[in-house]
Amino acid sequence: MSTKLFELLLQASIYTVTISVVSILIGFAISIIVSAMLLSRQRLFMLLGQVFISFFRGVPLLVQLLLIYNLLPVIGINVPSIVAAVVGLSLCTAAYQAENLRGGFASVPSGLVESAEMVGLTPMQIFRRIKAPIALRLTFPALVNEAILILKASSLVSVVGIVELTRMAQDLAGSTFLPLEIFASAGLIYLAINWIVALAGGLIERSLPGAPR
Amino acid sequence: MKAKSLLTGLVGAAFLLGAAFSAHAADTLAAVKAAGTLKVGTETAFAPFDYIDAGEHTGLNVDLFAEIGKELGVKIEWVALPWDGVFPALEAGKFDIVAGPATITKKRMERYRFTPPIAEATIAILKKAGDTTISKPEDIAGKTIGVGKATAQLDQLKEFSDTLPTKVDVREYPAFTETYADLAAGRIAGVANSLPNIAFVASQRKGTFEVVLPPFGKKSYFGFIGLKDADHAPLMDAVDAAMLKIKADGRMAELQKKWFGASFDTPDAVKDPAF
Repeated sequence: MSTKLFELLLQASIYTVTISVVSILIGFAISIIVSAMLLSRQRLFMLLGQVFISFFRGVPLLVQLLLIYNLLPVIGINVPSIVAAVVGLSLCTAAYQAENLRGGFASVPSGLVESAEMVGLTPMQIFRRIKAPIALRLTFPALVNEAILILKASSLVSVVGIVELTRMAQDLAGSTFLPLEIFASAGLIYLAINWIVALAGGLIERSLPGAPR
Repeated sequence: MKAKSLLTGLVGAAFLLGAAFSAHAADTLAAVKAAGTLKVGTETAFAPFDYIDAGEHTGLNVDLFAEIGKELGVKIEWVALPWDGVFPALEAGKFDIVAGPATITKKRMERYRFTPPIAEATIAILKKAGDTTISKPEDIAGKTIGVGKATAQLDQLKEFSDTLPTKVDVREYPAFTETYADLAAGRIAGVANSLPNIAFVASQRKGTFEVVLPPFGKKSYFGFIGLKDADHAPLMDAVDAAMLKIKADGRMAELQKKWFGASFDTPDAVKDPAF
């Protein structure tokens, strides 16, 4: 296999990384809103949050992508491939991350919150100083896990016309008849990316406030 | 009961909304000219029409659409999808025309509009070089043959299989490139695809693949595909005119020679396909 082919795979993996990172970040922002809805005392918000999670966690990502790409135009929203890919991945990961966050907030010991109330901290202070840091630290490993899952799941966005790493590997394998070398290289590139993500995740986790040293 | 009526209401609302928006969709040709870009949907796994040559999107379609773009005075933008996703995306308005190409069939003509044919599409078998067990199309009886999912070649192969003493074990693939890979790896005995495609593959991989002649099934042609509605009629008329001009001044024959090694005599339009 020539270096030219490997370069093409690396170029395509830039799509894989960019789409995944953007989706994880957008998904995280959405997941904060959704987890707040889940923890809300307003029944309507809670219900909406639950519907969101049931749908985006319950329908395969491949089907979601095809729905966003092919069905939205029926109601007049014609999104380009790249938007469909990012929207699909973001919404899907938001559903999983929201559940993680909800679990994280639910695991904050109630004794801590009560003692904070006793010493006179305001609800906002309690959220910023106690609930959020603890929940973030508890959900961080799951967030890194989710980032890795999305990086791999991004191989599905070729169905909406994005030539990312997997699709490029398929195209190259088809035109060069070197499937073994090309898919092995693609596998190594995925492995390298995810290894970096896991390593960076570990470093960030240790630097979070309250982390064990 | 209540939930059901709510659902019906929602679906109804969605359709009304869709109708309201699509009523705004105007003449596609005007839209294409205004944007300066003709969006073309395709799969990049159908050599020599559309394929990736070491990372470059290339093939007859790329060259031919470059000429069509010149005639219309617009740029060409390619959207690559898996083949079974191309038609749903065309109907969803993701692109203006499909390069494919697709075999012109009666069933497809009911739903889509075809451009003038660009090549003959009659089906033939590709085998491994030196495979003496297949010397004519009938020899594939009882053997495993690969073919693309949702293709006209699949229908033709099945029809042919029914005429044989032992049926063909038909294996369907998402794209033809995968059938060639499996044939090279010895997982299947042959690939059924139209003659221009497999002739190109065999010429690219001499010593690996061979074409089994003659082609079988009914004579058919390849064309590009667009939508049939009134909005798309001016665009399709313009593309047809451009293609006929390209054919008349010999550019089409040149491209066929470049990509197939020979030029085809194709009719200006296929009104009544054989199947």
